[in-house]
Amino acid sequence: MSDNVKLTIDGKEVQVSEGTYIIDAAEAAGIHIPNLCYLKGMKAVGACRLCLVEVEGGKGPVIACNAKVKDGMVVSTNTERIQEARRFVIDLIVSMHPLDCMTCTKAGVCALQKYAYDLEVAESSFTRKQFGYEPDTANSFIKRDPEYCILCSKCVRVCKEQGTNVLEFMGRGVGAKVITADDKPLQESGCTFCGSCVDACPVNALLDADRWRKGREWEYENVKSACLLCGNGCDITVGTKDGKIQKISAGQAEGSAEKYICAYGRFGFDCIEAETRLTAPMKKVSGKLKETTWADALGIVAENLKKAGKDAGFISVAGIQNEDALALKALAKIVKTKNYDTTMSLYADAETLVNSQAADIDSADLIILAGLAPSQWERVLPQLDATVRRRAARGAKLVVINSSEARISEAATINLIGDEAASLKAVLKAAIGKGLKADKKLADAVKDATVTEEAEQAGEMFAGAASPVIFASPSLFDAAANLSLAKGSAVAVPAESNAKGVALMGLTTGGTTYKEMASGALKALYAVGEVPLSKRPKVDFLVVQNSHLTELAGQADVVLPSATFLESAGTMIDYLGRLKYLPKAIEPQGEAKAHKDIFIQLAKAMGGTIKKPTEAEVKKAAKVKAKTSLKPFEAKKGFDVSPGEIIESVNASVISGSRLIMLKEMAAATAGK
Amino acid sequence: MRGKDFSVEQAAGTLESLYEKYRGEKGAVIPLLQDVQEEFGYLPEEAVNWIADRLEVPRSFFFGVATFYAQFHLAPRGKNIITACSGTACHVKGSERIINFIKRDLGLTDKQETTEDMGFTLEKVNCVGVCSISPVVIINKKVHGKAAPAKILKEIKLLKKKK
Repeated sequence: MSDNVKLTIDGKEVQVSEGTYIIDAAEAAGIHIPNLCYLKGMKAVGACRLCLVEVEGGKGPVIACNAKVKDGMVVSTNTERIQEARRFVIDLIVSMHPLDCMTCTKAGVCALQKYAYDLEVAESSFTRKQFGYEPDTANSFIKRDPEYCILCSKCVRVCKEQGTNVLEFMGRGVGAKVITADDKPLQESGCTFCGSCVDACPVNALLDADRWRKGREWEYENVKSACLLCGNGCDITVGTKDGKIQKISAGQAEGSAEKYICAYGRFGFDCIEAETRLTAPMKKVSGKLKETTWADALGIVAENLKKAGKDAGFISVAGIQNEDALALKALAKIVKTKNYDTTMSLYADAETLVNSQAADIDSADLIILAGLAPSQWERVLPQLDATVRRRAARGAKLVVINSSEARISEAATINLIGDEAASLKAVLKAAIGKGLKADKKLADAVKDATVTEEAEQAGEMFAGAASPVIFASPSLFDAAANLSLAKGSAVAVPAESNAKGVALMGLTTGGTTYKEMASGALKALYAVGEVPLSKRPKVDFLVVQNSHLTELAGQADVVLPSATFLESAGTMIDYLGRLKYLPKAIEPQGEAKAHKDIFIQLAKAMGGTIKKPTEAEVKKAAKVKAKTSLKPFEAKKGFDVSPGEIIESVNASVISGSRLIMLKEMAAATAGK
Repeated sequence: MRGKDFSVEQAAGTLESLYEKYRGEKGAVIPLLQDVQEEFGYLPEEAVNWIADRLEVPRSFFFGVATFYAQFHLAPRGKNIITACSGTACHVKGSERIINFIKRDLGLTDKQETTEDMGFTLEKVNCVGVCSISPVVIINKKVHGKAAPAKILKEIKLLKKKK
């Protein structure tokens, strides 16, 4: 869309595309129009009446969040009359709002406080009205206090749009209250504790449960980073104070369908200081792990790796940073082994992830999910679930192709249940029948497909879509990519955050595979990260390098304490191919070190050198062009570990070492009912 | 099946038939809830949840609708319903005094709407639309205009005797 509408806002000429709302046009021109209920990207509700503006020639003020621009429009956002109207609105809201800004956690970031300040409303001129609603403080994640609520409905709308559907209004008018079904506490309501409502709340009505006395946000240093806990690799904003993480919130841009992080990403950071956290290297002395120095531990590891040589192997999770992967590869070279592999090999092959394409979810008008069952509730690729539902709520069509019904099916326009590869083939055949352009080879390849009525409809949608995106499980990527030969893009969705990065960095075995190494094929084994392995394989020497003392680490000969992703600077490449930067938000606990730094020092102890991997090196390695060619419509075999299993096991210490453990207790309590 | 003793197991058949009645119809939430209320005398939480789950509509949505309209009741109601108007005209004509008399007579506390024995429910509404005969009290759908405490208490006495 071109910027074809010219208008004037507060004397400034602005050029925007047709259909833009005045509030966004003003923002583009650097003019902020006060609002309490506007959520960019979502349909406006006009609940707060604060964004009133005057349009020349209009009868009265209009709400800027729901009025579209017109050519030649002259808008004034801050006249005397408008200010008077806004002051009245704030005056009314303040009459029902506690005036305890001096102790309120949200002071400084509270929208109501800001506008009351701007409009000089110190106290309300109306009689104070309080309803005495009790706060909900029964869970460790989210505190709800209706006394502070200004009924902007942002939380309700966010919760609904992403398909969680927990929050709703009770009653009407000033006495309305945001509640769950039957007004139950959150933990009994089906809430997933993603905290999207907390991010949306403009006041102190919804807050991270542990924020009391943890400082105001103006004291925080906020760093943009990415979460490495699952295959979604969400953007996050990390708030730190006094060298500690105080808060993590969703980091995606306002208005993006992707603006979501799950409870793991938001609340899992407690695990940094968990009891099981490793803060010093350890070695086995007469059957027991004892703390030791880095020099001693590295010496032992170096000696044993040298001794094992090509009989040594490295297994790692795929949630490590690109730089860690490069350094690990360099270390393996010094050890003279080609045995290095990651958990990625359990659910994907490198070729698939390298060829997986980039896509823009925010502009997709048709989303096809193939062989994927993302779920916010089970925290399996939860952001994908929320994003897809949000896109669907904003008008995109959704086709779910699965072997059996999944929860995401409820949001689908069309469900295709059965063999996924065959369904993809049928959809393509139907689309070609509906006039989709495809070369002869492609058309021939789908000729023998059986097209059901549902596939016919899905094919028609695919033929008519402007920018379809197909998300597929890695094993179905080839079949999905065949569709992208005709139109749109195909994306393989791995279970772990940096699987694509690890594949691009080339951390895939040249010798024994992950599975073989994990079952004891070698003499010496070096495990990096929380690998899904609880029993020591039959090896002469085992090193575990992880942030937490796991069951496997307890059986190791040497344990090396590593930094968590929040304590180590590096990069990752998410499933959509975006390179994301992770700054070091805080210093590692105790003597823990970043994976790459341990590899570098270990190389030194072995008499070699590894240079610190640079951004340029990562970018060079990532510069592989995705290739798509016609492949058979078949699912790749041997990648049968489910994303849910992987996500749960690589995050075991994060879950058990943080308040997330409560989620399990809550789930058990609800199941017992 | 009216009153306090609602059991979703016992009601499943009734609920299923109500669900069938409106199945596939758009915008049928309110009539459906009205039917449920008609059936059970109020909207039992479990019944609403049952229907929400059956329709695969979020429970919170039904709850939002049920609390928005004054016609829906989420707590069991008494055998006799007394609706006292406290709209502007009735208020001026002394509705508050009548309400206090009724409360005292029925032994209702400030927050209580229904008597312990489930005999009476007293509810306040904001205007029933016949201000010309204010103050108005409606007892079991019968409108009593120009109501005086003595007259209303007499009616209540009759109802008490009835059971």
